[in-house]
Amino acid sequence: MGEVYLGNSRFALGEGSVGTMGSVTGAFTSESPLHPAAREVLLDAMDKGWADPTKLHRPSRELSILLDESRAVFGRHFQTPVHTIHFLGEVSLGYHLGISGFRQQSHGTFYYPATSRHEVLALATTMKSQLLPVDLEGRSDIPEGSTADLLAFANINGETGAHATDAGNFLGTTFIDATADPLTALPSRWDSALWDSRSWSGPAGLGIFALREESQWHNPLPRLDQLKVPGGFNPALAIASAVALDAHVAEHERTAQQNKSFNSQIRRFVTESIGDVDIASPQDAAAHLLSFSFLYVDAEQLIDRMERRGFSLDSGSACTSANLEPSHVLAAMGRLTHGNVRLTLHSETTEESVRSMLDALKSVIEELRSA
Amino acid sequence: MHRLDCRGARCPLPIIHLAQEVSALHSGTLITLFSDDPATWPDLQAWARMREKKVRQIDAITFEVIV
Repeated sequence: MGEVYLGNSRFALGEGSVGTMGSVTGAFTSESPLHPAAREVLLDAMDKGWADPTKLHRPSRELSILLDESRAVFGRHFQTPVHTIHFLGEVSLGYHLGISGFRQQSHGTFYYPATSRHEVLALATTMKSQLLPVDLEGRSDIPEGSTADLLAFANINGETGAHATDAGNFLGTTFIDATADPLTALPSRWDSALWDSRSWSGPAGLGIFALREESQWHNPLPRLDQLKVPGGFNPALAIASAVALDAHVAEHERTAQQNKSFNSQIRRFVTESIGDVDIASPQDAAAHLLSFSFLYVDAEQLIDRMERRGFSLDSGSACTSANLEPSHVLAAMGRLTHGNVRLTLHSETTEESVRSMLDALKSVIEELRSA
Repeated sequence: MHRLDCRGARCPLPIIHLAQEVSALHSGTLITLFSDDPATWPDLQAWARMREKKVRQIDAITFEVIV
């Protein structure tokens, strides 16, 4: 049995090897299995993480130290002071805390790009707000605004991988949605930010919320104390997530190169060997995300036939969504919404899996277009 | 005047039907497309960009296409 260190704390690894995730070579979906390193420490983290970290008993104090060590990992990788880091048991809650928390103070306008996540669009309906249109590349013009205004944007768009427009001239308060990628550096100026543990193959059900500008912020939730976030997160998940992030960062150099090369290979193939494709992801987008749409193709049939050939893909097309509405991101960018395929490249993605997925894609599209 | 009624058809059928219709028409012909699918307007604009056609929205379910 091996061990893993988080700060000065040692975790015993479970039986069995820190294996590869062999069963997922055909998976190009946004979700990925837990990172093997996180999976291995999870049981030991559960053993150490059952106490209430706010109490004074020995197990509580030990857990409190462990959580501080986990916070230190997040603070280091996200380049933000440890005291600004908070754990959330519900990722989506971070949008409310980060956006509405600044709203109560100011009477300004809330600005948000049309490609923002649904949580942001929902919050916009609760306040004086202005949607920022985006161009074909997903860029928007960020106004200068005033100090009373609020801006929310994603540093990386979760569907297309598009980088955010520079918001350096904005005068108000800024919330960054960093849930699509933990390693893209945040802009120099921000006031609150949110990360999702799943984006580094950490356990689901854990959000990391950072609050830099406390003086302007008021907890938007009903409360009797000074706590900034509800304490309902699972400490074991926070510990395992920190281990997963460390491992993700360690692998980053290799996977970043690999993703870049797979990304160009896929772009070239769908354009030259399949054709009539609208690539929504800008050329300089985050390489692990790639969204493109095939003209005259029904995405539901496409996804279904790819699944039968052993490849799991995501889609933003209306026919694949629960409410039969097309992806608001594609629609806002003016991109083709039908026949859409959204790929997420993982550290386990191989040359072979990319090549065979592309061959399958070509033959499925030919079948569907000739039907 | 050419009319194409795609009401009740789900994406990508309205655009596929439109493309089939367009292939038989001379350049410059005007087609009125009726479609109540929520993806039609965004897809029509994307199709027009990819195929170098002109489109405009008349109302929620009515669109004009110049071939």
